[in-house]
Order: sequence, then C-alpha cells, then structure tokens
Amino acid sequence: MKKLTCILVALLIVLSLGTAVNAKTLKLAMDADPVSLDPHVQLSGGMLQYSHMVFDPLVRWSKEMTFEPRLAEKWERIDENTVRFYLRKGVVFHSGNPFTARDIVWTVDRLKRSQDFKGLFEPFVGAAVIDDHTVDLITKKPYPLLLNMATYIFAMDSVFYTGTDDQGQPKDAIVKTGYSFANMNESGTGKYRVTERQQGVKNVFTAFADYWDTASPGNVDTIIFTPIKKDATRVAALLSGDVDFIMPVPPQDYDRIAGTDGVKLTTMPGSRVITFQLNQKRRDEFKNPKVRQAIVYAINNEGIAEKIMKGKATAAAQQAPEGYLGYVEALKPRYDVAKAQELMKEAGYPDGFECTMIAPNNRYVNDDKIAEAAVSMLGRINIKVNLKTMPKAQYWDQFDAQTADIQMIGWHPDTEDSANYTEFLLMCPNKETGYGQYNSGNYCNPKVDEIILACQSETDRDKRAAMLQEVERILYNDAAFAPLHWQHLSWAGKDNVNILPIVNVMNFPYFGDLVID
Amino acid sequence: MMDHWQRFKASDLFYDFKRDKVAIVSFAVFVLLFVCAFSAPLIAPYNPYDPANIDIMSSEIPPVWMAGGMDDYILGTDAQGRDLLSTMIYGMRISIVIGLCAVLLQAVIGIVIGLIAGYYGGKLDGFFMRLADVQLSFSYLMVAIFVSAVLQAAVGVGRFAEIAVPFLIIVIGLAQWPQYARTVRASVLAEKKKEYVEAARVTGFNSHRIMWRHILPNCMSPILVLSTIQVANAVMSEAALSFLGLGMPVTRPSLGSLINAGFEYIFSGSWWITAFPGLLLVILVLAVNLLGDFLRDVLNPKLYKG
Repeated sequence: MKKLTCILVALLIVLSLGTAVNAKTLKLAMDADPVSLDPHVQLSGGMLQYSHMVFDPLVRWSKEMTFEPRLAEKWERIDENTVRFYLRKGVVFHSGNPFTARDIVWTVDRLKRSQDFKGLFEPFVGAAVIDDHTVDLITKKPYPLLLNMATYIFAMDSVFYTGTDDQGQPKDAIVKTGYSFANMNESGTGKYRVTERQQGVKNVFTAFADYWDTASPGNVDTIIFTPIKKDATRVAALLSGDVDFIMPVPPQDYDRIAGTDGVKLTTMPGSRVITFQLNQKRRDEFKNPKVRQAIVYAINNEGIAEKIMKGKATAAAQQAPEGYLGYVEALKPRYDVAKAQELMKEAGYPDGFECTMIAPNNRYVNDDKIAEAAVSMLGRINIKVNLKTMPKAQYWDQFDAQTADIQMIGWHPDTEDSANYTEFLLMCPNKETGYGQYNSGNYCNPKVDEIILACQSETDRDKRAAMLQEVERILYNDAAFAPLHWQHLSWAGKDNVNILPIVNVMNFPYFGDLVID
Repeated sequence: MMDHWQRFKASDLFYDFKRDKVAIVSFAVFVLLFVCAFSAPLIAPYNPYDPANIDIMSSEIPPVWMAGGMDDYILGTDAQGRDLLSTMIYGMRISIVIGLCAVLLQAVIGIVIGLIAGYYGGKLDGFFMRLADVQLSFSYLMVAIFVSAVLQAAVGVGRFAEIAVPFLIIVIGLAQWPQYARTVRASVLAEKKKEYVEAARVTGFNSHRIMWRHILPNCMSPILVLSTIQVANAVMSEAALSFLGLGMPVTRPSLGSLINAGFEYIFSGSWWITAFPGLLLVILVLAVNLLGDFLRDVLNPKLYKG
C-alpha cells in the first residue's frame, strides 16, 4: 500500500511538472561574460545585464521609460528628502534566507563603498529600516533622480555576504581583480541562479524554484551563456542554429540576418556615446583647447557612423542624445580637416607630435576599427598616434592606470539622465566623492562641476534642462573630449524567441520575462 | 666573383635546377614576390601607412571589375579605406621578414643544439633535450605574453610599435627551436653510426669537421622540409599574436592580420578583404614549399648522383 502511494505521488509530481512548467532552454551568446559574480565590482552594461538575471532591483525601467515595481511593491514621498518603499513579502534569496528591509540597507551601504557606484550614490545619506518590509531612502538634498537610482539597488543577501570566508577575508569585500568571496559566489532574489561558471568559456543559469515573480510570462528555465568574442563567429553560431539569441550584432551582418529565414533582427536607437578622452596630465599639448578642437575637427565621425557602423549609429557632437534634457540641437559634428590644420598651426604645433592611444577590441561595436580609423584621421593633422587595441578584460585595468595619452570610452547614462555623463566622464576627478571616476582625460572645469552639482538638487525640469544644456555648450566649446557617435542597439535571435518585449534602450534584456514559443 | 659564378653554373645544383620546371617556376614566383615586397614603396600605388591616403569614406570598395569598383583601387579597399593591393604588398614585406628571420633564428639555435646533443650524447644530450621539453611544454603565446608584458612596461605603448618586428622574430624564433633540435638530433643519431663517419674518424678529422661537413649535409632533407613548414607557421603565429594585441600595431597590418581583419566581412559581402591576401599568402607559402622540395632532392647525398 505504502509503495503504491509512493508511485502515485511520484506520478502526480511528474505530471504536474510536465504541464505547469513548459521548460525551455535558451542558448545565449554575447561578446563577453560578466567579469565577476559581484554586481558591485563594476558599473558596466555587462554587469547590469547579469544583475538583472541573478538579482532583482527595487524598481526597474519599463520599455516606455516608466518605473515598474519589482522588490518594492509601491512607494511614496514622505518629505522632500525621503521616499518610502513598501517591499514585497515572501521573497527569498537563493541561499534560502528571507528578504527584508535590512538587506536593502546593507546593499545601499555597500553601494556607497563601491568604487564604481559611490559616485551614483553620493547624493544619498542611506537607507533606514522602518519595519521588516518598509524601508526609507534618504538623500542629503532634494534629489530629482531618486527613483532612477532605485533601479540600481539590487538586493544582496546580507546574511549570506556577512562574515569571513575560509581564506579569512571579509565576505563583503569589493575586489576588482583577483579573489573575493563575492566574486565567486552569489545569493540574490533573481529568477536565475548561477549553477556553472567557467569564466570566458561557459556560464549556466538555472531558474530558482522559489522565485517570487510567478506572474511573469517567462518560460525559460535554463540559460546557457557562451561568450563568443569574434563577431563573425557569433553570427555564424546563430545562423547555424548553435545558439538562439546573440547580442551585440555586428552592423556588417544586419542585412544578412534580416534576409535569413528563421532568424530575426531587432534594433533600437541607443544612448551609449563613444568618445575619446585626451589626457591633459600626460600631454601638455592637450591642455591647449585649440589642440583639442583640432582633434575634434580632424575626426570624421559622420564618416565612421556611415561606413564602419553602416549607418547603425548617429554621429555625435555632445554627450546626450536627442530626447535627453541636456540635448542641444544647435551642436553639430564638426569635421573639417582644413580648420583642424589651421588650429594646429595657431596652437603652435604645425608639425604635430607623437602620442599613444589605447582602445578595447571587444567592448563596443567595432571599437578597434573606429580607433584605427581615428588614428589615420589624426595623421592628417600630423599627430602620429601609436595605437594598441586589446580585449576588454585587459583594457579596463590599463584605462584606470591611464597608460596612454588618448583612451576610448563609451558611456551609457546609468540614470538615463544627461548629468550622469558629465559626473563620470568630465567632472574633476575626485577619489572621495567618486566624481570623474572615468575621466581619464583629466579635464577639469570648476564651472562645469558647479552647474552639475547644482542641478543635482534642482527638481524644476525646465531649469534643470537649461543648466544641463549650458554644460553641453561649455564642453563643446572647450572640446573637452572627442565625440564619435551614439551606438544603436541590436539583438538577433531565432524566430521563436520573442526578443522585442524584453529589450529596452538601456540594453538590459529582462531574460526572466523571455517567452520562447 | 666571376669565378664563383662559373663554379655555380657548373654545379650540380644549377644543372638540376635547369631541368626542373617546377623549381624554376616556384623560384621565379618567390623572387618576384620577394622583390615586390622589398620595393613596396616604389611599386605600390599608395602608401598605406600615410594617413593622407586613407579615407574612411572610400572603405569596402569592391575590386575594379565588380559593380561599384573604382579604377583607383584595382583590388578594392579594406574596411578602413586603404587600397588593398598596396596594403597587401606592404603587409607581405612584414610577413616575409618575420617568417624568414624567425625561421632562420629557430634553425640556427635548433641545428647547433641538435648536432651537439646528437653527436656527443650523454649528459649534454640529456640536458638539451630536457630543455627542449620544457620549452615545448608551454606555448609560444605564453612566451609572447610574458615577454611583451615586460617589454611594454619597460618601453611604453608608443615605443613598442617600433620594436614590434624584432620582438616578433625573437619570440617566434625562441619558441619553436625544439622542433629543429629534435629533428636534427634524431637524424644525427641515425647518421653517426654509419661507416662514412667511422671512416672520417679513422682518417683523423676532428669532431667539428665531422659534425659540420659530414653529418650535417646528410641531415639536410628533414631540415629543409621542416623549414618550409615553419615559415608558414611563423607567418600564422605572427597573425595570431597581432590579433591579441601583442604583435604588429593594427595600423601596420601584415598579411596574416589583414586576413584576420577581413574575416569578419567575408559573410557580409566584402569577401575581397580576406580572399586576396589569403591567395597571396597561399602562393607565397606554396612557392617556398616547392623550392624546399627541390632543394631537399638535390642536396640529399643519398639521391645525389643516384
């Protein structure tokens, strides 16, 4: 009798699994895999894409650029510096620990310690527990972007990450390169757990059985994520059916994918701006605004957008694209070689000079080719550039160490707001506040810093727009950096993969909601 | 000088060469490519290293006989807007220099070590062969990454571009000498038991003379075969290193890195960026291989006067 019950129960479980979970596996190929399992190690597209798979934010951007409740069910403004979040109940971490308001406080504290994130969280005093499922986010001054920032608060398991590991290191240490507990282990509330990881080779994400979001239509329970660095190989893998979904899609293959049966291409204008920073600390020449202007005039960024990017990019003259508060329509790309040569003469360098440049070769779409093209363009105004390109795993260390005079960086505003570009790329570098964290050009203009800091507490939209536009004009006239273009976003997958509903302008595909027919 | 020429004309080598059509053709092709490569600044339509000749707006122009082709660019242009023919000629120069010099370096080290190890045997043999084992157990990429990291820290990104060619020759040369050493040693072991060596020893020749004048010529055929393979290998290694950012700067592409760069475009229609440099590389390596075959047959004392 007991045996029979056992069999019946087993049968029932099998049947219920078979009907309820229509399990699908997604074979995913991207250009690179996450550098770490610790979401606070690096502020980059790749790490945030990973965070959306394994962790959950308080709120997230919807496709229409509104806020969608995730771990916070609702929120309300208590006073001008405080917003209260009411958290979802019954959420558990992958470790089994229950999710509470204390995890949010712990996560915000850790964000404020992270080299990469502390700039973003500078306006915050911190978070305060009200009760188990209520938490206040408190800012130092009235802050217009509080909810934008809540999209970055991916709850980490405070119990799991507290204490010391078997090597005697604190588990919550944030280590950029090398070993740390958080780099090797994860416990989030997200839909997927990392079940296998061989960095640079293969990553397997498996659906978490106790995931809270049962309303999501997503039906993918295993994601096999293979990094494929070479563009042509990645496309070939999709076309041959080895993978179901690829990103990014190299522009030279758009036509081919669009014209192939069984796969489809999805593109969207993006807001990631690609720029060159001219290091004024390394080169005295770059301190002269005329030299910087000459470089901007010498680079044919419209040509790069048209030819190398095959029209899937918009040539830029400023940081923010159209639709952002700081966008100034009057600022246009300035390609003019004769003018550039004239400026070099005026600056006192008619014979030019020699300098160095580094660029990644697998981070941005066609990054190495863009750099190579820029080198020949600068050659025309007698600036001889020695270029070295390298994979992004090595690139960022070199970028941080500022080993070359001209360095490439692309930036997507994490707050979806104009001020963010300047805060990270062009404000005077300051290790304590985190401002200018990626300003390898060492451009420093107190006026710009002043306006940006002032607009951080300006809640009037029109006034704020005027301030941000002022900043863009100053940067344009100063030629604070050499702008290239805004990259378009692209994804491609098999016909049965419903890509469009899960992608957005931030380029964070919400794989948890992915439906495979 | 005249005397030497007369001696050469009367030699067996020249005699055989005149009768071997394949050898004549491959020699002609090799000389042609060699001369083209080293007179690149004179014969190439453009100088691909001069930024004034590179315009991004004229990138990916197809060869002249295709629709959209332009008379200015006979074989079309690459993704950067460089004239493909000129870039290939300049690139071939780099490939030939690196290929031949690296193989020469490998051969010199490998032959000397192989001869000594094989001829003297014993502890010396053990030492050199274990050294070869160690060298073979880690790939040339590791050697290259290590050496380039040290060099770049020492000279900086800017200077590194200037020393890239000698650096690549040394790295590829040092990494692959064991292939030669082992081949030569194996041949020496087989040869040194033979009667002619005994005879030479009895006659009272010293070891030096026996090694270089008697044994080495008899080991020539595997060395020549290996060399032709190694030239092709060295060219490929250079392309791999350049791709990793450890070799030639992207602005000075070799044939290998040109093929590599064009690979991304082969599916999207611009096949010529890879196809023409690829064809040139095949012709170059084939000519070297055929010449190697010919030399092996001629220089092999066992077939000699056979």
